Amino acid sequence: MLTVTAAAQSSFSLFGVVTDVNEEALSGATIIIHPLQKGTSTNELGEFQFTKLPKGLYSVTVSYVGFNSVEDSVFIDRDTEYNIQLEPTELLLEEVLVSYNLAEEAKREQTLNVEVVNEQFLKENLGGSLMKSLDRLPGVSTIDIGSGHSKPVIRGLGFNRVVVVENGIKHEGQQWGADHGLEIDQYAIDHLEVIKGPASLQYGSDAIAGVVHVQQNKVPEKYSLTGRADLTGKTNNNLIGASFLIEGRKDWLYGKLQTTILDYGDYRVPTDSVDIYSFRAPLSNQLLRNTAGYDRNFHLGLGILKSGFHSKFYVSSINSKSGFFANAHGLEPRNVNTDLHDASSRDNYYPYQKVNHTKVINTSSWVTGDLRLTSNLGFQHNLREEHSEYVSHGFMPPMFPDTMSFDSDLERGFEKYIYSGNLEAEYDLSGNTSITGGLNSEFQNNKIDGFGFIIPAFKQFTMGAFAIAKRSVSERSILQFGLRFDHGNISIKEYYDWFQSPVNDEGTETEYLLRAQALDRNFSNFSWSLGYNINPDHWLIKMNVGKSFRMPIAKELAANGVNYHHFSYEVGDPDLSAEESYQLDAGLEYSRDKFTVGVTPFLNYFPNYIYLNPTPEHDRLYGNGNQVYEYTQSEVFRYGGEIHSHFQVTQNWQLGFMGEYVYSKQLSGIKKGFTLPFSPPASALLNMKFVQPAFRSLQNLYASIDLKLVASQTNIVPPEEPTDGYTSVNLGLGGEIPFGKQAISVTMQIQNVLNEKYFNHTSYYRLINVPEPGRNFVLNITIPFKSEL
Amino acid sequence: MKILKSSIILSLLIMVLYACSTEPEVDTVKPEIDLNISGAFPVNCDTLYFGEPYVIKAKLTDNVELGSYNIDIHNNFDHHAHTTEVLSCDDLEPIKETTNPYVFIEDFTIPEGRNEYTTNLDFTIPSTDNDGNEYQDGDYHFHINVTDKQGWSVQKGLSIKIKRR
Repeated sequence: MLTVTAAAQSSFSLFGVVTDVNEEALSGATIIIHPLQKGTSTNELGEFQFTKLPKGLYSVTVSYVGFNSVEDSVFIDRDTEYNIQLEPTELLLEEVLVSYNLAEEAKREQTLNVEVVNEQFLKENLGGSLMKSLDRLPGVSTIDIGSGHSKPVIRGLGFNRVVVVENGIKHEGQQWGADHGLEIDQYAIDHLEVIKGPASLQYGSDAIAGVVHVQQNKVPEKYSLTGRADLTGKTNNNLIGASFLIEGRKDWLYGKLQTTILDYGDYRVPTDSVDIYSFRAPLSNQLLRNTAGYDRNFHLGLGILKSGFHSKFYVSSINSKSGFFANAHGLEPRNVNTDLHDASSRDNYYPYQKVNHTKVINTSSWVTGDLRLTSNLGFQHNLREEHSEYVSHGFMPPMFPDTMSFDSDLERGFEKYIYSGNLEAEYDLSGNTSITGGLNSEFQNNKIDGFGFIIPAFKQFTMGAFAIAKRSVSERSILQFGLRFDHGNISIKEYYDWFQSPVNDEGTETEYLLRAQALDRNFSNFSWSLGYNINPDHWLIKMNVGKSFRMPIAKELAANGVNYHHFSYEVGDPDLSAEESYQLDAGLEYSRDKFTVGVTPFLNYFPNYIYLNPTPEHDRLYGNGNQVYEYTQSEVFRYGGEIHSHFQVTQNWQLGFMGEYVYSKQLSGIKKGFTLPFSPPASALLNMKFVQPAFRSLQNLYASIDLKLVASQTNIVPPEEPTDGYTSVNLGLGGEIPFGKQAISVTMQIQNVLNEKYFNHTSYYRLINVPEPGRNFVLNITIPFKSEL
Repeated sequence: MKILKSSIILSLLIMVLYACSTEPEVDTVKPEIDLNISGAFPVNCDTLYFGEPYVIKAKLTDNVELGSYNIDIHNNFDHHAHTTEVLSCDDLEPIKETTNPYVFIEDFTIPEGRNEYTTNLDFTIPSTDNDGNEYQDGDYHFHINVTDKQGWSVQKGLSIKIKRR
């Protein structure tokens, strides 16, 4: 297996071919060499090459989806050829086998803390939305509204402080709004990473809290045609769903088609009435009125894989319609036509939202010698419409005029066109140093529509350049330094009311009032990061210090309208400065064969954190006397961390423990001494899992119990209420049933087994006393197929 | 290595100690609305008449400083419930359709620096709207919302009747 060519030099190369047992080349296989922590993947011919390796003994790990990984040691004192055959795993269910090594590799190579998730994790923890499924990860939580809309929160920071990246392109929806979920299909994810910590360096403005990186990066095997059907059912909101995937590859050409359809009814909460401020809304059959909806998603992928060149097009269209809880939308908590709403739990009346997100992405990479070039080009279109009955407020005409350009039921419309382009080059300077440089740019054009104003139309352009140097200082340690410069421009269009308001006391003179001034602002900023990690025997130790920043968004600069989800009136501040964040991150992990324990603490300082502050004022002109909230900035200090441990008790029994804690305090401003809004309470998750590799004809059986203990949150800021702690129990059960050469995979969950009524402090509905969903049985069945092409 | 390990442990220790140290005083007390003072008006189940002058009297207090208050009157022809009502009035009129109800929403300031303030607001409910159409009489809700300087707010909702003499 090992042949050697003689040479007399100080650095050497390692090269070879990865094949299957039939000598068919495997392209896209991952090869990692330790302790240099270098990794590469094979090209279309199954070839790979490492250059500039110093003399030494290396451990090589070769892995490929659907095949058993191989770990081997190689001594290199000359240019060395290393060829290897991989044996297929018994099951060809590719999706369950995102390489463990890849995940470990990401953990070891990054100086920030990373969580890696594969499809199996998503299936075993399937929640109402992608982020809800990820909620289980330490340090990750969500801000929810309703059953299918969640926004990512990393260590207590959310909204525009978390960047979501799909296939290298920053996902741009309406992430500024609490009611706007993430337009990502959780059935179409091959690989997902959550970076905890300031990652502006590679991802630019907004990545202050971290990054959720979603990838559809799987390349099918040569001459294969595979696919699967995922069938899902949930009892809490009577969801039925299906996702169909078919993908295939000839020689160098591959493609993929996927569609996901979900349809769900109103979701159930363990309470008979909800107290929305001072208004009590009775519920019928504990159903949260009008929260039904549907999702219809389509994906198309097409890729070319040639020697040294890989290019992939990815097109997706995510469409959804969902209702808002009818009593808690508009100007005030209200009485609604309960007969109409409660007649069926599957229909939508006003108020509801419709969202369409279209994405076209091309990712291309070239490898020549020591240089790797990657380009990402993206186009996105996001259209979100919120519909509700026309309710005249302020000085709007009592009857909706028929001369308007928008329909009378269009409360708000947001439309966004996003053009993105990234270019990245990675160059190996010598055996132990690599340099990555890149350029990112993005242009957005945002339009608004509808009778209810909150943010004006705007255009935004951002551009950044970065360089990161990574050096293996010793066999087991890496030092990383990076610097980035960003420039951004936001140009806000002025907005006048579509109706006239009186401007004198007698009400005889009227005018179209100016609600948002034209504004043009530029922001420039340096970000940097310095990290070190070292992996002595059984230990994984990391340190990272960095500065990140975020440009204020249009809402923070220019909001001026009623928040119909919160009965408040929000006002922006055009003079806000770019938010900056300094953070120190550490990670310490100890692992033995059967035991792992780790802690990941952080310290974080913001000189000027932007948040929405409730003022003592009430709005006169536009609302129903709603309380006025203003965007403001203050100095903020935060710290916290996560702890995780894992113990393989016996071959069949696993125990796990995860905990998270965040503390925030404002050091200046009107809310000095207070915490930040939506601060997650401390929580711990205890998990016990039983696995049985085979039982009769069944395989990979598992049963697990999650016990989630959440502390009370008494550290609050107006208008929040203290939230009691709670304990919730989730059960999981699953396995595989042989089906021809494949296996049907079944996963079952019972969420909130005890049907306990509890409140989630970081849910938007917490403010109106809506508890978390009641007991929910979730069933997911995956039926794969595979044939030759 | 050793330095790294010990510095991590040290910083963890500092965090834990910091977390355990006493919290600074912040104002987490909401303002209060007191309608038990003598001469408080309106109180639950009161009847008001169109066109007659009244003085709205409620005692507002806060532990630090009051912000502003807001009054909201809207119909209860559909018998909806408010959780702040101490007791409901047992003589509600039958449910009826809303055609031209009286609506009042207005914001009022409280002088700076007060932690106690009793409203003394002259108030007359007009009998007709600007076009001369009569407002509907019947069951109404009367709401007072009060904020303090920190932005905490409380509401009090009362059931009242508005009638025509």
